[in-house]
Amino acid sequence: MALSSTIRTRSGNAYDLRSLALDLAIFAIATAGTWAAQEWDRPRTAVLVYVLGVMIVGGRSGLARGIAAGVVASLIYNFFLSEPRFELVVTSLDEAIPLIAFNISAVLSGAMAGRLKDSVSLARIAEARNAHLLRLSDGLQRAISVGDVLGISRASLPFDQVLGLDIFLLRSELLFPADGAGPPIGAAQLLADEARRGASTVCALNGSAGQLGFVRFLLEETASPGRRPDLQGIANILGLAVDRCLLLDRLSETEAQRKSEDLKAAILSSVSHDLRTPLTAIEAAATSLRSFDQRLSPKDRADMLATISEQCGKLNRYTANLLDMGRIQAGIPAYQFVEVDVVEILGVVLASLREAYPAQEIAKQITVDSAVVQANPAMLEQVIFNLAENAILHGASERPVFLVLTRVGEAVVLEVVDFGPGIPRDEQRLVFDKFYRSHATSHRDGNGLGLHIANGFVEAFGGRIAIVSPHFGQRGTRLVVELPLAHPSEVPQERIGTWE
Amino acid sequence: MKILLVDDEPAIATALAPVLLSQGHAITNADSAAGALQAAEQGDFELVLLDLGLPDADGIEIIGKLKQLTEATIIILSARHLEAEKVRALDEGADDYVNKPFGIEELLARIRAAARRRENAATPQKFVSDQLSVDFTRHEVRLMGEEIKLSPKEFALLEVLCRHAGQVVTHRKLLIAGWSDPHADGQYLRSYVALLRQKLEEDASEPQLILTEPGVGYRLAVLPL
Repeated sequence: MALSSTIRTRSGNAYDLRSLALDLAIFAIATAGTWAAQEWDRPRTAVLVYVLGVMIVGGRSGLARGIAAGVVASLIYNFFLSEPRFELVVTSLDEAIPLIAFNISAVLSGAMAGRLKDSVSLARIAEARNAHLLRLSDGLQRAISVGDVLGISRASLPFDQVLGLDIFLLRSELLFPADGAGPPIGAAQLLADEARRGASTVCALNGSAGQLGFVRFLLEETASPGRRPDLQGIANILGLAVDRCLLLDRLSETEAQRKSEDLKAAILSSVSHDLRTPLTAIEAAATSLRSFDQRLSPKDRADMLATISEQCGKLNRYTANLLDMGRIQAGIPAYQFVEVDVVEILGVVLASLREAYPAQEIAKQITVDSAVVQANPAMLEQVIFNLAENAILHGASERPVFLVLTRVGEAVVLEVVDFGPGIPRDEQRLVFDKFYRSHATSHRDGNGLGLHIANGFVEAFGGRIAIVSPHFGQRGTRLVVELPLAHPSEVPQERIGTWE
Repeated sequence: MKILLVDDEPAIATALAPVLLSQGHAITNADSAAGALQAAEQGDFELVLLDLGLPDADGIEIIGKLKQLTEATIIILSARHLEAEKVRALDEGADDYVNKPFGIEELLARIRAAARRRENAATPQKFVSDQLSVDFTRHEVRLMGEEIKLSPKEFALLEVLCRHAGQVVTHRKLLIAGWSDPHADGQYLRSYVALLRQKLEEDASEPQLILTEPGVGYRLAVLPL
C-alpha cells in the first residue's frame, strides 16, 4: 500500500476526503436501513443490509476501511440494534453470526478490492517508470560528455521519490564526482555514507568493459528500501550513456594526440632538414677557409664567404618562420593591431626582396596611393615577403614575379603572380598547412611554413587568401590576398598604375 | 669613437672588435646591466651598443640611468618583430636600433650616422648630401640641385629626418615636429610622408630616401657630407 501513495495526483488529499465522506454516507445509510428493518421486525433483512453496507465500503476503499466498517458495524449492531439493546453482549450463536458475518465480509471484500487497487496502481507506477526510463534514455542520446549525462538525468528529477542523483567515476581506485563538486572519495566511504544517510541508494554504474563507478540516488525519507531493482535500471541506462561519452572522450584525445605527434614529427623533420642544411654549408665553408685559406683562390674565398652569409640569411628567415608559427598557434590578439599602410609595407618588402633575390625580376603595379588596414606592421611585412618568396621559389625563374595592389570595394587586394608550374587542384587547400611541401617542388628551397604563416596572419587581420592556379594557360599561380580597409568610406585616390 | 658594447655573448664582441678597431673605434665590453652602468660611470663613452636581453636586467630599464651617466649615443640591438620593445627603448632615450642578426655593414652605417650627428651637435643650419640639400633657416630644399617646393608641414618633417640623418625617427617624434602633439592621428603623418616621397623619390612606392621602419617610424637613408 505504500506504493499507492507514490504516484499521487495533486488533488490527492481532497480526493481522499471525498472518498471518506462517501464511505461514511454509505455506512450511515446501511446503519439506517438496518435500524429500519430491525424496527419492522425483519432481523435477517437488517443483517443483510448491514453486511451489504460493510461490503460496499470494503470493496470501495480497501481492507483497512472495510475492517473499520465491519468492527464499527458489529459494535453498533450489538449495542443499538439487536436485543438486548444498549448492551454489548453476545448470548447466543444467533447473535454472534451477524457479527462474524460483518467482519468476514469486510475482510474479504476489503482484501479483494485492495488487491485490485494495488495491482492497478502498481501497473500505473510501472507504466510511469517505463515512460520515465524511455524519456531519460531518449534524452541521453544527445549527451556527448559525462557532464551532459549528469545534467540530462538531473533535469528529469524529482521523479518517483528520487530527489537527486550523483555520478561517481572510478579512476585509480578513487571515485571522482562527475560534476567536479568535492574531492574524490573511496568506494568504501561512499557505501558507508549511504548507510549513514539512509535516504540514499548507491547502485553500480556499469560499462562495456566493467564497472565505471557508482550512481547515488537521493530518495525521499519515506521511500521504501525495496527500490534497489528499479533504481539499478536507471543506473544501467546512465552506465550506457557514460560509457559512450567516455569512449568519445578517449577517441578525441587519441585524435588530438595523433595530430600533435604528427606536428612534432613534422617539426623534427623540418628542423633537421632546414636547420642542418644551411648549418652544413656554413660549417663546410668556414672550416675550408680556416684550413685552406692560403691555398684557395680569391674567387673561391669570396664564394665561400658569400655562402656563409646567404645561409645565415636562410637560417634567420627559418627561425623567424618557426617563431611566427608559434605565434599563430598561440593566437594573435587583435588589440596589438594598428593602422598600417599596405603601400608602405609593400615598399619595405620590395627592398628586402631585391636584396635577397638580386637576380629575380620583380614587377609591381600599384593602383592606390594608400591602403590603410588594421594589422601588425611586421607581420604584414612577413605576409607579403612570404608570398613573394614562395612565388620566386616556385615560379619560373626566367619570368618575372608580379605584385599587384588594387582596391576592390571595401578591401585592398594584393595579388602575387608567378608563371611556374602552378599548384595542382587537389593540393590547393593543403598548401596552407604547416610544413606542407608540394610533391612537384619538394626538392626546391622553402620550408613549408611560408604560406601557412601568411595565411595565419591574414586571417588574424580579418582577411583571406585565395589561390588561382593555373591562371595562364596550364601554368602559373596567383595568390590573392584580400584585407578589409580600416577606413572603407574614404574615397580612394586612384592613380594610373604602370608596369615597371 | 669610444664604444661600450653591452652584450652577454662573448662571441659578439670577438666578432665585432677587430672590425671596429680597424675603423678607428675603441671598444669595451660589458656583459651585464650592472657592468654596463659601472663602465659608463668610469669611462667616457661616445656610443653604447646595448643588447636588451641582459642576464641581470631588462636592457630598457638601464637606458635612463645610462643617459644620466654619459652623453653617449645609445644604439639598441633588438630582435625583429619586437616593435613595441624598440619604440619603448627609443622613447626611453635610445637613439637608434639594429635588428639582430645584423650584417657588419648595417651596424657600421648606424655607427657612422651616430658619429655624424655628434659632430654636428651644434644645431647645424644646413643639411647637405650628394643628392639632397636642405637649408633649415631659409626653408630651401634642393634635390640634385633642383629646387623643390615643400609645404611648412612637409618641411618640418623633412627637417627632423635630416637632423637625425641615418637614424630612425619615431612616429611620436614626427607627430610632435609636425603637429606639436604626440597623439595626433597617424593618418596625417602617413599622408605627409607620402607627399614628401612623391616630391623627393624617384619611385614613391619603393622609396630610397625616406625609408619606412614598420611599426616604429621613418629613417632618412642618406648622411650629410
